[in-house]
Amino acid sequence: MNYVQLETRISVAISAADPAAFDDLALELYHFQRSFNLPYDQYCRSLGAADSATTWREIPAVPQAAFKHAPLRAFPPTAEAAAFHTSGTTGEGYGVHHFYSLRLYNEAILKGWDLAGLPSLPQVVLIPAPASAPHSSLSHMMGALKARAPGGEQHWCVTSDGALDIGRLTQLLRTPARPVLLLGTALAFLHLFDAMTGDHFDLPPGSVAFETGGYKGSGRTLTKETLYGMFRSRLGLQLHDVVNEYGMTELSSQFYTRGLGAPHISPPWVRAVVIDPATHREVPDGATGILRIYDLANLGSVLAIQTRDLAVRRGDNFELLGRDPSALPRGCSRSADEMLSASS
Amino acid sequence: MTTAERIGGIAEACRKFEPLLGPASAEIFLDWLRIELGHESALDGFQSISPGPSLRAIPPAVILHIVSGNTPHAALQSLVRGLLLGSYNLCKLPAAGLPEAEAFAAALPAALRARVEFCKNLPDAWLPSADAVIVFGSDETIAHFRALISPRQIFLAYGHRISLGIVFEDADFQSVQAAALDASLFDQQGCLSPHCIYAADRPEEYAARLAVQMARVQATDPRSLLTVSEAAAISEIRETTRFRAAIGEPVRLWESPGSNAWTVIFDADPTFAISPLNRVIFVRPLPEQDPATALASARPFLSTIGIWPNTRPFAEHAAALGASRICALGQMQRPPWTWRHDGRQTLAPLVTWRGWEGL
Repeated sequence: MNYVQLETRISVAISAADPAAFDDLALELYHFQRSFNLPYDQYCRSLGAADSATTWREIPAVPQAAFKHAPLRAFPPTAEAAAFHTSGTTGEGYGVHHFYSLRLYNEAILKGWDLAGLPSLPQVVLIPAPASAPHSSLSHMMGALKARAPGGEQHWCVTSDGALDIGRLTQLLRTPARPVLLLGTALAFLHLFDAMTGDHFDLPPGSVAFETGGYKGSGRTLTKETLYGMFRSRLGLQLHDVVNEYGMTELSSQFYTRGLGAPHISPPWVRAVVIDPATHREVPDGATGILRIYDLANLGSVLAIQTRDLAVRRGDNFELLGRDPSALPRGCSRSADEMLSASS
Repeated sequence: MTTAERIGGIAEACRKFEPLLGPASAEIFLDWLRIELGHESALDGFQSISPGPSLRAIPPAVILHIVSGNTPHAALQSLVRGLLLGSYNLCKLPAAGLPEAEAFAAALPAALRARVEFCKNLPDAWLPSADAVIVFGSDETIAHFRALISPRQIFLAYGHRISLGIVFEDADFQSVQAAALDASLFDQQGCLSPHCIYAADRPEEYAARLAVQMARVQATDPRSLLTVSEAAAISEIRETTRFRAAIGEPVRLWESPGSNAWTVIFDADPTFAISPLNRVIFVRPLPEQDPATALASARPFLSTIGIWPNTRPFAEHAAALGASRICALGQMQRPPWTWRHDGRQTLAPLVTWRGWEGL
């Protein structure tokens, strides 16, 4: 089966939100990627993995960092339609996610949004616009979400030099006539709250904030509880009004949760498995491990990615712990994050 | 208590902790006092130490030690320094406790044991009551306490550091046993633990032989259990290395079979990168030209370079790379009591002096 045929079938599965389609498509995708994604095939061979799998759980996952070391694409370089770059905060350069087509990517964004019950509201965006950040997957996602803003009403609030446009934000948030959707990274919201210096806005009921990412490399640390407390005190948003997105440049799909303590939910074309890093076996329900993600929308790259993010298994979903620096190895030997924060 | 009385009790307790602290004796401690304070009885009365006034060293009445987890030897060393000076020692342990520190205190004679007090949650009264504050920890921890220090208090901070080994010459790979020992002791948690061994000659073969020795150390001295996060870090570096090797990059992986007990990674790129620790050791080629560039990211944090062979010309070479301590490979975790911790003396900065312009 070729790329276009697989793309059509996966597109149908995304559109139908049909979890039953996952197993067969994952196996076909694995076979396809072993055939056309040479670095992935080389890695699988080094693991002694067979060319075809009998269940999707047998499919080898590449470490997330692999995207920094090789072009993981199942198509010729000349056919590339887009490429998104990772932020490169680990000091080893950045990774690149290559795309033959953004069709599945865009479909996954919008269908995932709808399945998570996220609202169609005028959008206030604290993330650079796609034109000024063409290699940012998050900026691209924000652009795609224009389809979920009534009348396409999006207000971009990052200046050309990458700083938050506090004046414009203040103007937009002070007296909104209707509920709004605020979209930004956790760090961008923190900068907004810093700039508000004690000021607060009461957003109309029905308003929602979408936050994503952490504070890595910024030298800032803040618990999610504290951040969400600031959403309440500074913007009048209750816990349930704040949505966390878990995603990454190396994936094409997203996971969402609302408020605190609830698991992130996988869309039907994605599987998230929590792995014991010592044995590489799935942990029992309620146990902590590292997240391994199988994303059918990653057709042109790699279906299965092994992340470094810690999570607690909650049935077929997970509660994200992330790469909390406090969970990193302790001792007086210096850690990567410390070297980063000392040099930033 | 006189200095001599204290030293007897301290040396006796230290001998029970030799694996952590290395050799200790009354004579070693007397030498230490002579080196740092100029006279072994400088704490007991006026001494003629140098031309000019006679001098007497006055220790801090109270020292507050803020110690970090997983590096008990550093905590014990700090306590020994305070006890040797004759100070009263308040010791803030990590939240999870530090059994070695409490066991060490229990091994002291009663008169010295009475001069040590522990807590896991810092009482409000401790910090203002201390004449000197010694902090071991991250930059963040140090900054936190530095901001709370008053001008009258002495403040010594030991931040997290990086160490490495350099094998300048070793035709027969005789140093691999020493390198494996340094990379395994305390599971690399200490700031004297090597993240990487630079080998000037045949580094890939060196890595293969080091792997054999890492397995031997594991057989006699198994690594401690890991947290999920620590295991995740090892899994990530192993799989990333395996991926890089599979696509033809000049890297190679040796790993403990069926476990994450030890990992050796050869990487032809000489650029320093930190290890995830817990017995994950890199082997890289030592660049003939400009090794300083390869080590640039480590230099601001560099503590110890273990060298082989341990000769003066190679020591000068290592010193030029920015190490504050240079020692023989195999001795990285065994600094003498007189070592300059992060390039500074450890007793002298804690005392003040009284001078007598007498006869």
